[in-house]
Amino acid sequence: MSELLHRGAVRLDATATGRDDAIRQCGEALVRTGAVDPAYVDTMLERERSVSTYVGEGVAIPHGTLNGKDSVRHDAVSFVRFPDGVTWEDDQQVILCIGIAATGDGHVRLLSELAQILLDPDRARALRETTDIDEVVRLLQPAGEEEPA
Amino acid sequence: MSERTVIIASRTGLHARPAALFVKAAADQGVPVKISVGDKKPVPAASMLAVLSLGAEHGTEVTLQAEGPGADEALDSLAALLARDLDAEESTDA
Repeated sequence: MSELLHRGAVRLDATATGRDDAIRQCGEALVRTGAVDPAYVDTMLERERSVSTYVGEGVAIPHGTLNGKDSVRHDAVSFVRFPDGVTWEDDQQVILCIGIAATGDGHVRLLSELAQILLDPDRARALRETTDIDEVVRLLQPAGEEEPA
Repeated sequence: MSERTVIIASRTGLHARPAALFVKAAADQGVPVKISVGDKKPVPAASMLAVLSLGAEHGTEVTLQAEGPGADEALDSLAALLARDLDAEESTDA
């Protein structure tokens, strides 16, 4: 997944006025690195209104709807951290917002890889605490594909 | 231990709306239910992250497991849910 997360799509110290603002920042990180067209961001907001992308453990994984596929240029991930938390549905607090964009059916595999990383307590904690963007890029690689130290 | 195997019917796989509906239904059962794909370790069906980690797509066969009083009823209702196209309720969603 390393090539999917561009350094320019990582923010470690963001603040948001609310859920929609947080999702927009996640989407704009994908726009900034050329992974998606701006229209994709609206479909991310559309999906969130239809079903929450909160996955537990203070993490949300916003992504566009099927209609947003045309706006995806290549598979990509963005990582925006909100140290003060952002209130999601049902008062859940989101610290990590991981935006994803995938062409075709790639989103299921991407979500699976991200979920496996987040279920690993060591990597999940490091993603919350690190101050090193390169470490985030390194951590968001699928298990078994870490580069040699 | 009771088991059910079922093929994921939702067109876009077990994520987003289908996963949200499934995880909520699993959490509402009176018994803990586990779900697995192939030979991989069964994971809690009531955990969204765990369910997403399966990477179950349309047509993937999954196994549901539970034990204790009410296990069979719980598995029947969850298997029936996965055998439905949960995306069909919202055609623009993926």
